Amino acid sequence: MRIGRIVRLRLRSLFNGKQVNQDLDAELRDHLERQIELLRTKGLSPGDARSVALREFGNVGLIQEQVRDARRVRWVEDLWRDATHGVRTLARSKGFTATALISLALGIGANAGIFTLLDQVLIRPLAVREPDRLVQLAWRGNAVGANYGGGSLLSYPICRELEEQTDVFDGVLCRHPTDVNFSTGRENEPVRAEIVSGSYFAVLGVRPDMGRLIAASDDRQPGAHPVVVLSHDFWTTRLGGAADIIGRRVLINSHPMTVIGVAPASFRGVDLAGLPAVWIPAMMKRQATPEWDGLFSRRTFWMHAIGRLRPGVTTDQARARLQPWFKQMMQADLRGEEFPPVTPDQRRSFLASTIDVTSASRGVSGLQTSFERPLRVLMGGAVLLLILTSLNLAGLMLARGIGRTRELATRMALGASRGRVARQLLVESILIAIGGGVIGVAAAPLVSHMLRSFLPAGANVSAEIDGRVLAFTVATTLVAGVVCGVAPIFQLRRLHINAAMTERSAATGRTRVRARKLLICGQIAFALILLVAAGLFVQTLVRLKAKGPGFATDNLMMFSLDPAAIGYGDLQAELAMREVLRRLQQRPEIARAAVANSQILNGGRAGGSLTIGAGERRVTDRFVYRMRVGPGFFETLGLKVISGRDFDDHDVRPLGTPPGPYRTAIVNETFARRYFSDRSPVGAHIGAGNRPDTPTNIEIIGVVREVSRVNLRDQDVDQIFYNFWDNQSENGTFFVRMRDTPESAARAIRAVVAEVDPRLPVRELTTVDDQIERSLSTERALATLSTGFGIVAVIISVVGLYGIMSFVVTQRRQEVGLRIALGATRGNAIWLVVREALIMLGTGVGVALPAIWALRQIVEAQLFGVGAFHGPTIVTATAALALVGVVAAMLPAWRASLVDPNLMLRAE
Amino acid sequence: MSKPTDLVQGTLDLLILKVIALEPMHGWAIAQRISQMSNEVLQVGQGSLYPALHKLEQQGWIEAEWRDSQNNRRAKYYTLTREGRRAMKQEAAQWERLSSAISLIVSQA
Repeated sequence: MRIGRIVRLRLRSLFNGKQVNQDLDAELRDHLERQIELLRTKGLSPGDARSVALREFGNVGLIQEQVRDARRVRWVEDLWRDATHGVRTLARSKGFTATALISLALGIGANAGIFTLLDQVLIRPLAVREPDRLVQLAWRGNAVGANYGGGSLLSYPICRELEEQTDVFDGVLCRHPTDVNFSTGRENEPVRAEIVSGSYFAVLGVRPDMGRLIAASDDRQPGAHPVVVLSHDFWTTRLGGAADIIGRRVLINSHPMTVIGVAPASFRGVDLAGLPAVWIPAMMKRQATPEWDGLFSRRTFWMHAIGRLRPGVTTDQARARLQPWFKQMMQADLRGEEFPPVTPDQRRSFLASTIDVTSASRGVSGLQTSFERPLRVLMGGAVLLLILTSLNLAGLMLARGIGRTRELATRMALGASRGRVARQLLVESILIAIGGGVIGVAAAPLVSHMLRSFLPAGANVSAEIDGRVLAFTVATTLVAGVVCGVAPIFQLRRLHINAAMTERSAATGRTRVRARKLLICGQIAFALILLVAAGLFVQTLVRLKAKGPGFATDNLMMFSLDPAAIGYGDLQAELAMREVLRRLQQRPEIARAAVANSQILNGGRAGGSLTIGAGERRVTDRFVYRMRVGPGFFETLGLKVISGRDFDDHDVRPLGTPPGPYRTAIVNETFARRYFSDRSPVGAHIGAGNRPDTPTNIEIIGVVREVSRVNLRDQDVDQIFYNFWDNQSENGTFFVRMRDTPESAARAIRAVVAEVDPRLPVRELTTVDDQIERSLSTERALATLSTGFGIVAVIISVVGLYGIMSFVVTQRRQEVGLRIALGATRGNAIWLVVREALIMLGTGVGVALPAIWALRQIVEAQLFGVGAFHGPTIVTATAALALVGVVAAMLPAWRASLVDPNLMLRAE
Repeated sequence: MSKPTDLVQGTLDLLILKVIALEPMHGWAIAQRISQMSNEVLQVGQGSLYPALHKLEQQGWIEAEWRDSQNNRRAKYYTLTREGRRAMKQEAAQWERLSSAISLIVSQA
């Protein structure tokens, strides 16, 4: 009540100043009139009464001023005056203002742009009810199971048992992202789907936008709940927002299902990797993922489990309370008939497992794991850049302060207090910071869009600047403004009015120059750090590209087919696969074609342990990457079989015979070297798996060079290639070496597939070169942005160096003139100045080196083929910076050396 | 002898509060009342009343309102608020302590 009244009064004083002043005038007039009347009644003449009343009252103007002071809003009015004055002063020194604004805008723009993505990927919680209570549940240890997917996975039965731990959870959901073919009856379209437990929407607290959402009653009987929920996005963009969508029948992988509802637009799923188009109940898994089942298998790990903690339960408490149940469950699993035979070691490591509980307030996403480091590195770079620009700005302010010494001294001589002048200076700094911030925010989308283009296209991340980013920017802007403003205020403390008024003030001049020099040293240090980082990231990119995937990528394309997804039976699907391959090989546009089980260089990985049967039984001690390839795969990629032979048509299982176990395999050189050293592995026998009873009846028939499978960073990885046609071959990826352009090859591919079945969608058609470019997106993002930062940093700090050297030279003109008159050469004179620049450069480098050493661990994981404290890079960067720096210092020095000594000496 | 307008710092506030505690008043009347009540010993510099009034208003101790006064003139009337009344009691007690301490010293000397 009271606060409200006071605030109202102050606001009135502030924004309704005119009315308040009129009010005061009226009040004072009323007083004087009453006093005059009183004096008249005592017999004074009108004129006398008036003058006496005025005299008794005192100085009206002064009283008015005191009243305004009393109303305590004067500082705001002053601030306004300072601001307008500041704008006017800044507008007069255009060069200074432009430099300051641009350098600050660069720093702030880079920060805001990167923060836009960092915020969404690493900070912002999910848009669901009370995201803080969500936790992810994960198996820590050896789960003895098969993984389908990335991240921390659990099997569906285990997820359902977690749901029963009601003393810990209010609910538990599980989900699995996948791609399905979606159709409204005509064309098939691959869309992103999420297979979810019946508890999914309830646990997240999401309410439908239309219809209803998947509930527990939709998750009871396998195959009995053909219902889907659409995302708001998908419903509006692809289905035109049809109002009668509820109850409509759609086809998911050719299985009819009914749309029961639309999720709200605000709900973006729990995974940043992408917003699903449809949600499908877990009981419909067989229809959603026709290639594999295992819904009720306890050892098929494929779902992310997210629990909602009961109010008041912490993650630590949850973890502790879940362990007894978990131990019991493992014991039961071990006795269960589904549990595979294991070695005593494996049994021990299985029983040593625990269940982990970690916060899932930001959802579950591989995106976070893979981009956390790069984003942090970029954010760190941007912060360094901002510090550098602030230092630069502080230096500019100091320089400007030196030029304004007389102006400030005059104002103080006229009665302005030091505080008042300091405030004026601070206001100017903040004005510049705000200007820089506004331009920076305007420029931020350039950075965020560039960075966004490096993230996967489907990722649920926006490059738009939002309120949170604006708040972040306002905060950085204010910090930058205050940091820059403090320097000239410190300088003000040393201002001696008399000395300043009488022009020569050597003492204050020198300390200020020293401060500016220190700032330059700092800038050089930051510039060197950024330059070295840029060098490292660029080399990483170059070296990865130079290394390549291990085969020629020109004219190579790949695409995938999955006939089962449009309802083909296994035999039919396999027939279609063979037919497509046969026809591809006959097309004139296509030189070679082969089939494999998956794309390459897409980040995916599959594999496990092997048992080597040669001599003594051994289990591989490293992960062996597995791929299934058909005859001609290596030839299509242009890889020679180093020893032994490739798969050939005799290895292809006759059509119609059931898929059997693997019979033959080809290993890579790395594997051969590691486990067979100098002997040839050809003819040796191995087994897939590491159980005590794993049969070793797969014959190694050949050895090939290493191929990058996951991404270009693959190096020294063990690989094994099985025969594609030995096992399940109803879907796969075709590799095509074309004779002509990718366009003609793509046409040929589509024509071939359409000949076999026009309904069959061609998936993920791409050239391998494009795929490599995509796989390098993080490296490219780091290289591009860090190079940008490095260049900006060098320009800013070198311009700063040039500025101070020019100033120093002007100050020392007389000294230089004197020296030349006394016989010093031009060279000596130039050296005098360059030496100073070298000292600054040296100091900057001296500060930067330990910092680079300290920061090396942060960037290490992002590098390839180059260490984080890489001598040649550091030397090159230092040399480059020194070269530009010395040139910048030479220019003013050279100018000074041209001075005619006579002229200079006479000027004194 | 000092001028009668020289008031101890802060006492003017107390005087104003005391005066309008009786009834709402406008500025001129407050000045008149203070000099009457103090038997014309305290002559408040009439102008210096106003900064004090506005400060008290900003502090929330008094409220101002334009009202009709006699013979159809409008004047700005000041009223004591609840906080003002509380503040007045505290200030008065403070004043009592201060003045008794001073008179103790003065009478002993």
